[in-house]
Amino acid sequence: MEEVLVVDDSKVMRDMIVACLRPHGALNFTQAASGLEAIERLSLKPYQLLVLDLNMPDIGGFEVVEFVRGQKALEKLPIIVVTTRGDESSKKRALDSGASRFVTKPFTPEALLSEVRALLSERS
Amino acid sequence: MSDGLDVKAFITGYLAEAGEHLSSANALLMAIDASQKRRESNPKAVRELFRALHTLKGLSAMVGAEGIVDITHELETLLRAADKAGGRLPQNAVDLMLKGVRAVEERVAALGRGAEVAPAPKALIEELSSLNVDEGSVAGTAAIDLAPELAAKLSVAEHAQLAQGLARGQKGRAVEFRPSAERAAAGISITSVRERVGKLGELVKVVPRAAGGAVSFVLIVLTTATDEALCEAAAATKEQLTPIALTETAAAAAAEPVEDAPVQHRDWVRVEVQRLDDALERLSVLVVTRSKLDRAVKKLEAGVGDLRALKAIVAENARQLRDLRGAIMRARMVRVSELLERAPLIVRGLSRASGKPVQLDVQAGDAELDKTVADRLFPVIVHLLRNAVDHALERPEDRKAIGKPEEGRITITCSDHASRELELRISDDGRGIDRQRVARRAGAPVPQTDAELLELICRPGLSTMEVATQTSGRGIGMDVVRKTTLELGGELTVSSTPGSGTTFTVRVPLSVTIVDAFTFVCGGETFVVPVSAVDDLTELDRTQVIEPPEGKKNGGARVQLFRHRGAAIPLYPLGAMLGFGAEPGSEHERPKVIVTRKGAEAMGFQVDRMVGKQEIAVRPVTDPLVMAAGVAGSTDLGDGRPTLVLDLAGLAARHSLRKVMQ
Repeated sequence: MEEVLVVDDSKVMRDMIVACLRPHGALNFTQAASGLEAIERLSLKPYQLLVLDLNMPDIGGFEVVEFVRGQKALEKLPIIVVTTRGDESSKKRALDSGASRFVTKPFTPEALLSEVRALLSERS
Repeated sequence: MSDGLDVKAFITGYLAEAGEHLSSANALLMAIDASQKRRESNPKAVRELFRALHTLKGLSAMVGAEGIVDITHELETLLRAADKAGGRLPQNAVDLMLKGVRAVEERVAALGRGAEVAPAPKALIEELSSLNVDEGSVAGTAAIDLAPELAAKLSVAEHAQLAQGLARGQKGRAVEFRPSAERAAAGISITSVRERVGKLGELVKVVPRAAGGAVSFVLIVLTTATDEALCEAAAATKEQLTPIALTETAAAAAAEPVEDAPVQHRDWVRVEVQRLDDALERLSVLVVTRSKLDRAVKKLEAGVGDLRALKAIVAENARQLRDLRGAIMRARMVRVSELLERAPLIVRGLSRASGKPVQLDVQAGDAELDKTVADRLFPVIVHLLRNAVDHALERPEDRKAIGKPEEGRITITCSDHASRELELRISDDGRGIDRQRVARRAGAPVPQTDAELLELICRPGLSTMEVATQTSGRGIGMDVVRKTTLELGGELTVSSTPGSGTTFTVRVPLSVTIVDAFTFVCGGETFVVPVSAVDDLTELDRTQVIEPPEGKKNGGARVQLFRHRGAAIPLYPLGAMLGFGAEPGSEHERPKVIVTRKGAEAMGFQVDRMVGKQEIAVRPVTDPLVMAAGVAGSTDLGDGRPTLVLDLAGLAARHSLRKVMQ
């Protein structure tokens, strides 16, 4: 079982992401409703994948990515940024900060799933 | 649209979240508008509005609502620029954005109905994109004494927010929270800490920190709370708390904190978990009683039981059921403040349309009322507000001429009495109702009392405005306001003083049972019967009536039979049962039969004529002196007179019983 942390302040969006990834199998999902909660959860338990929204209250996805990459223990954690902000500068900023993949909303289940497959197999 | 993702499965969740975002968007726009009137920016509200609309855009994209995506995108672009400019927006931006939010609301509603979502209105998009945000230097950012690592994490707008708060005398504090597995297990997480600290003041920013592998969070807050309270809320020690101050005194204008955006009521009710738990708790008590009943019955069967013990359990059961009902009714309650949330928006629109500046003061308190009552009361409030702005308040120049402030004032106050009744007062400081003019238009004598005045203004179709105004010409009239109030089992009163203002007072019960009912006439009196109790309505065909043979009794009483759907059912003469004679002239018409059912047994009731179907609020009869079998309660059909709600099956039982006793 791979532990996946899905972070988005919208419950519907989290549910949609989980629904998209379910066909992958062998994944165990934990949901976090804010960037803060995500950082807390990451500090308490190891995860194998982080699916992250950019636009959230208090601290956004960019800050989460920067924070995660600043920590030795989380250096290699695969991060997929899922966001509505489809412009190139956001994409560049997310990837520069250390995100592994960038998926723009609206996405198809296949698009998200293939990114996750690629990431998880790359790592192993 | 995402192929393969079943959007339908998420639509209810989408509608609920979209509703919340739209409702906060409206509230935030009002807060921004209020700040602009004081010539201030509102960086926090701008940022929150940006976030709400951005989230809505993403969700709408997932459900394929392009029309919504385009509008929210345009709004978001404007807000992003404003956020970079420290929350500054162009003067006319709020109006345009309100239009934008309205357009989104319409489209979300369409989605909810399963209808096609209209594309974004072109004119609106063009107007929005033509707005320019002045990105000049951000004012009011006095230097703040803050650790550089924290200062670096604050955006320009957050910096401005912190500086503004400090300048108006709030304390600035940075308090550190350290999460751990033990704390998480005890329910102490960054989420709960953030919420608790947020309640103590205005949370500016939370900065995550990692020192030597240990993660912690620094919460930067503007507050008036004590340091002890803050430490307790953040599960922090005194050492983990640092004061934040301005390095130089900035003489910034005092500004009020942004009011938090509450959630608007829809076709669902937001329930505190505590209330649901309470209902569940009462249900579990009932389960226990059920097994007690089982045991008591078994004992009785075995011949060792005690009837008294059984009776005690039955009485306990009845009390518990009452408690459960109460708990469920409490879960249906909504806050009056929620109901009144849109009032500022409505008054603002009316104020713009009429060109009269208005100050609205809402004191909703913490009263609550049943969802059904709240929904019905809302149009009443809207109408009374319209009346106040359009008719009651004078034009600003006229107000000035008679020494009143140019800005008219409307006050909504609200209180509940003995947890049974809500009193809502809508007052204005306008010209008062012109009694002579009302009398002239109604062709009636000048009213001497407020009660007489109310009678006149509630006559259908009466308006003292010669020209129907843009807003008040539409919508419901005072007659409907009163009718609605009466139907809810409430009361409407007015008190008006020429030259100084008018107050309308609406009193309604906090909760009522609303049912669909048939209205009918019998013996010259009007009655109602719940639709759910009626099996069939038919005309009385005399050829289908069977006189019972002499000596043959039905339940001990001699009752006519009536052939209905292939069966012979008893036909009760309702008028005679209630002690009325036939209605004069009723022989010209064919009487009607209401067919009802008790268990499997059908029965007919002969009445003079049916009037129609309407929704009624049933007030149960609780006075033991008035309680009678066959009467379920009373209602008001909007004419101010009580009308009995009949329980026909109960009436038949009583009738049979009486015949037997005779």
